[in-house]
Amino acid sequence: MDNDRDLLLISVFTFFTVGLWITFELLKTSRTTTVSQSTQQIVVPLTAKIDVDTLTAMVNRKVF
Amino acid sequence: MAFNYKTEFQRYRRYYQSLEPTFTKPKSRAYTTIIFSFLAVSLFGWYAIRPTIQTILFLQREIRDKTELNKKMEDKIAALIEAQAYYQEVEPLLPVVDQALPTIPDAIPLLIQLRNLASRSGTLIGAVQLPTIPLTGQEIGPAGKDAKLSSPGANKEHIYDLSISVRGSYPSIRTFLEGITQMRRIVSVDALAVIPMKADFEGSASAIPSSRVLQLALKLKTYYLVE
Repeated sequence: MDNDRDLLLISVFTFFTVGLWITFELLKTSRTTTVSQSTQQIVVPLTAKIDVDTLTAMVNRKVF
Repeated sequence: MAFNYKTEFQRYRRYYQSLEPTFTKPKSRAYTTIIFSFLAVSLFGWYAIRPTIQTILFLQREIRDKTELNKKMEDKIAALIEAQAYYQEVEPLLPVVDQALPTIPDAIPLLIQLRNLASRSGTLIGAVQLPTIPLTGQEIGPAGKDAKLSSPGANKEHIYDLSISVRGSYPSIRTFLEGITQMRRIVSVDALAVIPMKADFEGSASAIPSSRVLQLALKLKTYYLVE
């Protein structure tokens, strides 16, 4: 009878271990992005505005 | 030794027959069912259910990522078109950026500008001191440590110090200082000292009026951006 109980405990722990492992694997899969690093760099937002005021101020400065 | 199937069959039969009473007990049967159920679920969970759900989640994530990426790409394309329009508008003004922040140290043009400024403002350059600086904007060896190639913020910006000493009257020195602050080439005044000149200089033959001659010692910082 003790043997049966031991086997049951082992199987229950195996079940929970495998269950937790599967859960973490699935969490990792759902959290990990599929976009590559180079693509992420490409899509970095671009500010289209050019600071014309600064450019004008630089033009107004003198070259001796 | 030849395999005697008859004796082996009898042996295994005895084993199974001895196991039979154990499995007829309800408690043992329940235990066995539960144990094998757990093991079967674990096994199939790992080898069948996990890969399937993983594939589903991966594909869902990929769809979400690609949708987001598509939107970002469209935004970026729109921003690039807008930026191109702005760029064409300001293109004639862009060379001034290189003049303000050159890609190489450009020390000689800076000195020429300072000399022209001094002659325009009516001051005389007494001394100019430059550290060892690379001509091409590349990093220099240990001999050029004095060049202070520091990198504030981005590591492409470089600074080098420049010391200059000019003498002249108060208005001319003031004009010289104002000229430095108005120069297109970015130069910042790190330290300055104004010292009254001695009488022997005042008596010498000089273009500067002898009354109230001052000496201005300036420590400047100038910048360049290595591409």
